[in-house]
Amino acid sequence: MRVLEYVLRRGVFSLVTIFLAITGNFFLFRVLPGDAVSNLAKVPHSTPELRQALMERFGLDKSKGEQYLIYLKNLLHGDLGVSFTYQESVSHLLLDDLKNTVLLAGVGTVGAIIIGILSGVLSAWHRSSPLDHLNTGVATLVYSFPAQWLGLVLLILFAGVLPAGGMSDLFLFDSPPFWQHAADVGSHLVLPAATMILTAYGGYTLVVRSSVLETLGEDYVLTARAKGIPARRVVWRHAVRNALPPIVTMVALDLGYVVGGAVLVEVIFSWPGLGMATFTAIGQRDYPMIQGAFLILTVSVILLNFAADLVCFRLDRRVNA
Amino acid sequence: MRKALAALAAALLACGGLSACGRAGSETADGGIYRLGSDQAIDSMNPFVSVVTTAFAVYEQIYPTLVQLDPNREFVAEFASDWTTSEDGRTWTFHTRPGATWSDGAPLTATDAAWTLNTIAEFKDGPTAGLANYVSDLDEASTPDPNTLVLRYSRPVANVLSRLMSVPILPEHVWREYADGDGEALTTFPNNAPVVSGGPFTLVRHVPKQVALFKRNPAYYGPKPHIAGFGIQFFSSDDAMITALKSRQIDAVRTVPSTSVANLKAAGFEVISSPGLRFDSITVNANPKQRPEHRELADPLVRQAFDHAINRAAIVETSLLGHGRPGASIIPPGTANWADRSLEPTPFDLGAANRLLDQAGHRKGPDGIRIANGHPMDYPVILPEDTYGGAGLRSFQIVRSDFAKIGVRLTAKLLDNAAANEAVMANESQDFAMTMWGWSGGTGDPDDTLNYLTCQSWGILNDTGYCSEEWDDLYARQGTAMTPAERHRIVDEMQRLAARDRVLLVLSYPDSIEAHSREWTDLPQVGGNSFSSESKIPLLSVRRAG
Repeated sequence: MRVLEYVLRRGVFSLVTIFLAITGNFFLFRVLPGDAVSNLAKVPHSTPELRQALMERFGLDKSKGEQYLIYLKNLLHGDLGVSFTYQESVSHLLLDDLKNTVLLAGVGTVGAIIIGILSGVLSAWHRSSPLDHLNTGVATLVYSFPAQWLGLVLLILFAGVLPAGGMSDLFLFDSPPFWQHAADVGSHLVLPAATMILTAYGGYTLVVRSSVLETLGEDYVLTARAKGIPARRVVWRHAVRNALPPIVTMVALDLGYVVGGAVLVEVIFSWPGLGMATFTAIGQRDYPMIQGAFLILTVSVILLNFAADLVCFRLDRRVNA
Repeated sequence: MRKALAALAAALLACGGLSACGRAGSETADGGIYRLGSDQAIDSMNPFVSVVTTAFAVYEQIYPTLVQLDPNREFVAEFASDWTTSEDGRTWTFHTRPGATWSDGAPLTATDAAWTLNTIAEFKDGPTAGLANYVSDLDEASTPDPNTLVLRYSRPVANVLSRLMSVPILPEHVWREYADGDGEALTTFPNNAPVVSGGPFTLVRHVPKQVALFKRNPAYYGPKPHIAGFGIQFFSSDDAMITALKSRQIDAVRTVPSTSVANLKAAGFEVISSPGLRFDSITVNANPKQRPEHRELADPLVRQAFDHAINRAAIVETSLLGHGRPGASIIPPGTANWADRSLEPTPFDLGAANRLLDQAGHRKGPDGIRIANGHPMDYPVILPEDTYGGAGLRSFQIVRSDFAKIGVRLTAKLLDNAAANEAVMANESQDFAMTMWGWSGGTGDPDDTLNYLTCQSWGILNDTGYCSEEWDDLYARQGTAMTPAERHRIVDEMQRLAARDRVLLVLSYPDSIEAHSREWTDLPQVGGNSFSSESKIPLLSVRRAG
């Protein structure tokens, strides 16, 4: 019963957050100076008639309240609207972007978590050794690099060896065989994913190290060692397992950062994902695209946080008791 | 799973990175695929929706136009083989190429051209308003026979060829159904690949924000291109685009930042720097109705002083790294032969600037900043994002440093383009003090640039708050002057008027810089571009070297 109550409470909280985010997204960009029409009407011999025609076409001649109600109504029908810039369905445009971001952010996050856990455990196990100092030093240093700077450095360092932009070879008229295409995407993924991994793994290293160090001093770990259980098993089965809740929490909290970081990385490497779509749409004040992209990002982060809450609850029932 | 990973790794190694894989694919086609990089994506394949230059350069390759520009910036035949003008300048007759077809086999005739122009005219206040400029004053387009197009205008129009050069002729049999009723469907037709084409290339694939791929169109009525096709990869960062060129992922880049020129030359690339179509300027708000704390800016003496305080040579040398020219007229040197070469850049003379401000009665305060109308001469300068990147910000810093020496403080106000538009154009330009950005004109005709300063353009494109009967009168006269000599005389007069009133303080004309691999040759420039929205000639003539 307590589990059900917890899930329901967190579920309702997530839904309210999503609704507030939708409302915030709608009004946030409309209070900024400038609109899509200013950009689109900047053609030679532009006229007030063109401006008016565009305002009517985009529904911007209606009051903000009216626009909001229409937006909510369409949203309930699963309609994210039509992009002002591309004049195409936002859901259609963003679907491919979403897939591309999931690929990049997924590889970047999973890579960072794996490397972070391995290096954190290694540091904790060899605490205060030169290996520990070197490991935590490098992790802290790389963690402090801005993603865009690190991306540019990698771009320059690996110019000519690895692809600089896009997510596949785009100049092929005929579709290549699956494996060749996979290899192609993989080679394009290396630099952006490496940027994401390098800028994120350090945080995991430090949290894992400190969390594992804490558990290594617990009675049950000492008992396990006293029983003569092999060191590797003590670390992975006892220490790491019990150090997981703060790591899961951090992963959940970091997902927002991953999305934010992906925007910069996608722009640098021209990776056609949600981040790049959002960046472009904000510049163009393409409200339906901005709203759609933010909706996807917001819902993803809230759902992932919700999932993380449940995992934390499963791992440690004291959470939110 | 392990096997799959091993296969993936093997494939990666076998490819040696993407470039090698891509190259193999591109080489299979006869004549090769010319691979371009662009920092601007196609916004739409629908000409009634699109506003970006890249899209119009694409339309140029896939659709017929009646005329085009050649590398000497002269109008030459395209779908029209020849043309005549009536004595009163109101009727233009074009003969089009007989026997032409669209890529789907349907006949391509003058009726397609007439339908396109009449449709734009019919819906010019709504769905087709973005192209309305090209058909203004057009009463009717008719076709006495399938290979003759007659255009009747309500008054003589001087720049008919320039206008028609920019109108893609659309296949009536494809688009007709969207022009019913209020014509709104014209804006919702996505025109996705495969597009029915009449130009030298057909669009076979377009992935928004990633790539557009084109194949040679066997049905094209003109000379066959030497290349099998071309592609444009879109980049959101210049660094990635230049790196992609250097690593042979692409063959050419349309817009090379001046900071990359030396680097690319050293790497063996052909770098072409041509007089550009853009001028960078400082706009000093000349609107007499502007806010009281900026009203002294409407004083011609103040604007003259500011003009003398601009070190244009330093801007060209430091900001543009020598890839440009000091600014004088509002018509850039790349606009055919329309720039008035008798206009010289205002000399950099801080002494003269100080004297003029003294003369205007604005004395320096205790902190060295001049006082005008009871307040310090301290102005925010709006810098839109397409200005404050790189060269623009460097130019601003030079100007700010010199203005400080004449007792005028400038503060950068960085805004994205949409916010900058709003800040400058809203409220009929009464609110802002100064802005620094650039304007681009047409390759073959100055009309667009001159139009920016008309009273009619207030709140839309006129960012100066300038409105003068004299200017509007000259603008109207140049538009109907039917002899080139007469039109040149009026346009020169307008350039001198703009310089005299110091409406826009023209800083510099950045060069248009392109780079391409030496594996490609015979790539002429039209208006500083080989991938042009005004000519098919460059991509028809480019070929693999050797």
